[in-house]
Amino acid sequence: MRDLSSLQYFEDLLQNANNDLVRAAKAEGRICAAYLCENTPEPLFNLGNCFGVRLFAPNTGSMDIATYYMSNLLCETARALLERAIEGGFNFADCLIAPDGCTMMNRAAENMELLKALEGNDKFFYEHMEIPFKADDNGVELLVLQCKNHILKPLSETYGIDVSDAAIRKAVAEHNRICRVIKAMGEFRKEEKPRITGYEFAVLTLATYVCPKDMIIDRLEATLEELKTREPDDKKYRARLVVVGSEMDDPEYVKLIEECGAYVCADRYCFGSFPGRDEIELTEERDALTQVCEQYVHRCQCPRQMNMEKVYGRKAYVAELAKEYRADGIIYDQVKFCDPWAYERLTGSTALRQDFGYPVLSVDRPYNVRSSEGQMRTRVQAFIESIEIKKLQS
Amino acid sequence: METVKNEKILPGDQKLGVLYNAGKVRRRREWRGFKDTMYDFGQWLATWKIMMGVSMGRGFLKGLFRYRWMVNFLAVPHMIDKFTIGQRDEILRITHIGMGYVSYEVAGIVKQCLRADRRCGNDKKFSDKCVLVDENAMTSYLMGFPNLIALQREIPTLFAANLINQNSDLHYIDVAQAFGIPGDVCPMPEVEAGVSIEDDFVVAGKCAVQVNTTCDGSMLGNGIIAKRLEKQYGIPTFQMASPLRHRSEDTQKYAAEEVKRAIAFIEEKTGEKWDWKAYFAAAKRVNLTTRNRLEWLDVNSTPYPQFFGAVFSLYNDTNYMGNCGRSAEFPLIDKKIMDLVHKGYENKTMMASEYRHRCIVWGVQPQYVIDMLYWMVRCWGVVPLTDMLSMVIEKEIAEEDTPENREQAYYDMAYLSENMIMRNHTHGGYQVLVDQLWEYVERMNADMVMMWEHMGCKALTGMHGQFEEQARERGIKLVWVSHDLCDPRIYSRQAVRDQFNQFMRTVMREEPLDPTLEELPDNEAW
Repeated sequence: MRDLSSLQYFEDLLQNANNDLVRAAKAEGRICAAYLCENTPEPLFNLGNCFGVRLFAPNTGSMDIATYYMSNLLCETARALLERAIEGGFNFADCLIAPDGCTMMNRAAENMELLKALEGNDKFFYEHMEIPFKADDNGVELLVLQCKNHILKPLSETYGIDVSDAAIRKAVAEHNRICRVIKAMGEFRKEEKPRITGYEFAVLTLATYVCPKDMIIDRLEATLEELKTREPDDKKYRARLVVVGSEMDDPEYVKLIEECGAYVCADRYCFGSFPGRDEIELTEERDALTQVCEQYVHRCQCPRQMNMEKVYGRKAYVAELAKEYRADGIIYDQVKFCDPWAYERLTGSTALRQDFGYPVLSVDRPYNVRSSEGQMRTRVQAFIESIEIKKLQS
Repeated sequence: METVKNEKILPGDQKLGVLYNAGKVRRRREWRGFKDTMYDFGQWLATWKIMMGVSMGRGFLKGLFRYRWMVNFLAVPHMIDKFTIGQRDEILRITHIGMGYVSYEVAGIVKQCLRADRRCGNDKKFSDKCVLVDENAMTSYLMGFPNLIALQREIPTLFAANLINQNSDLHYIDVAQAFGIPGDVCPMPEVEAGVSIEDDFVVAGKCAVQVNTTCDGSMLGNGIIAKRLEKQYGIPTFQMASPLRHRSEDTQKYAAEEVKRAIAFIEEKTGEKWDWKAYFAAAKRVNLTTRNRLEWLDVNSTPYPQFFGAVFSLYNDTNYMGNCGRSAEFPLIDKKIMDLVHKGYENKTMMASEYRHRCIVWGVQPQYVIDMLYWMVRCWGVVPLTDMLSMVIEKEIAEEDTPENREQAYYDMAYLSENMIMRNHTHGGYQVLVDQLWEYVERMNADMVMMWEHMGCKALTGMHGQFEEQARERGIKLVWVSHDLCDPRIYSRQAVRDQFNQFMRTVMREEPLDPTLEELPDNEAW
């Protein structure tokens, strides 16, 4: 296929959390709200003069200092983020808003606070917020209160950000515009001969989490137009795979899978499009904040939601994606030393195999996949071969 | 700190290392002088009496042959001996009364489990009165159900079993890991999952309530257990959430509502009605427990601590979590202990010839080296004033039955759950994990901190560097002792003790009080 004209541009943006667009927005005097975890309602960081950046640590190498602070048995994502913060890689932020989504992410954020690793300006603040454990009305009520107290109030009081209902509606509209573009691109992955690779899609999707949205939307829409007329390769992929996991902010991982001859047709991970790029529907009758929170609580696919409807529902959600995107298999992955996904990977891979009949590769991976590329490549190759053998045998 | 010398000479054995050999039990019983040896022997017999009582229970024989974990209970008397090493006078009696009651409670749970179990006792009527609860749940949401039984089936299966026999949980860890759970997660929920995967829990109860209290691993492991309960045995489960930021005002309503819903679930499934009279009676007992514990801590902040170590922790654990004011027997035990604490303090009773250091023990204790804290006293003269698991509830809850208090009660039950043993410090931010430790060091007049570094406890290890740096800044001596909670294959008992030995010799430059204890051949012991 012809290269997407903006792919290189987006790839470059992903080389650094403090990328060109973040710097440009800051140069305009805008406020940058850094945040962690998919459970924090994203549009609330894009109000008025503020823009949200979900923290990630591309090209992570050594994590020695973070390992001293957090020990070598803590999730590599948490350690990579702390290491990058200590290195000064997040000093562009004007605040850090971190939910207690999981213990390790919480500890990473707390270490940043205690080490004063992020304090870029004298108004800088840290907020830690509670995230509900169940998808119900009590959870929604909690999240609304938490968003008011730990996002809206400090942003308004510290930086004078407009946190009105109208501002939230405007941010949601902008958010939905991004979602529509990404979802439309994602639809092409259903094609027999897809006109977008899983890697390209991962790059474009990740960019929407880590860049000021208003500064990339035009390019994204142009890319969508380009895709509409793009001629797909006359290439047969060896297997179509759904990738399921947690904080996957490394498109190199998808690239590695596709280098083995597979096609990543759907992405159910925290920086992916499912459910992160589902549009948020608002009605005029009720306040916007409650409606945003409702949708975040109910669509959440994070293993921290402990009620059994959600426990079963997460597996059914993946099975539904696999069916819709005509997947041949599923890769369940877990960042090494992540506790929630250690269990979710086990229960998910077991259920998808036994209850839904999909071949599943259950694998743990380093934060930076290229740090143990050979091992991961061997696992993926063997998985693809096993799918092919099954196809031949049937 | 200034060394506190014992004014009395402790009678009986002085070199305790000679009691150990490479067998399952010790070479011989400890000689404590005539009076204390006779008392100790009497208590040993009393333990056997408790065990005989269990063996008379319905379904016992079937259970003995059906469940792998049942065999551990033959070693209960040996477990009690672990807690009494080197003890004399009031301290010995406090340990026996405390641990005796804990053993009695656990024995009661074994009896209940086997009686209700569909495979063994199969007493359906009894089983229908049981609500399955997590071993790490504060059973506050059952305080108003006097006719229901909180069936803590995980306690005998894995928690207490590991105190009794260090190898008791290994098989289930292997089962869980063979099924695909990684080896780096906390072994406790991993064992729970392993038992469930192997279907080795008793099957009983009308319904189950699970909690998210301890950690991510525990919460996620619940899903495996609930699936088997619901899908295979038709036992409905309810997941009751406690907020992690439990010190924040803006999470309390959520927590209270969760308690309300758990109670409604139990009412619906069991047909029982919430009884406010029973609740407030239990609340009074919870407050009494809190007052007593705080008084014991006050005594421990003086040069003559009386009730400390693993028994202090386990007694609080049982009293708050398993009991939570529901038993009228605990206040009587509390009173007996309180009298002994007062007497011991007045008599300046000590456990060793001298106390050289006053230590706060922080982190999660290893189940399989549960005698370590008493070993520290006898071997090195380091007295463990209190531990993280014992620093739980400090606030009294509403205990008068008024309309306002009935609403407040949901918040109080939530408060108890949120402050469940361990999680009240491991969740809620660094303020409760790190900052509060230094407050306790000051309050208890300690000069040393021993950090249990449970490798799989990521909430704790996530603050490793902060502990180290802040202790250095404050001039507090801090020793790391790593372990793997219930897997002695990772750190053997001696490997755990060696970390302390090395610190005392190389950093503190001290010689042991009893050198025979420095290395013990107890690797094969229960």
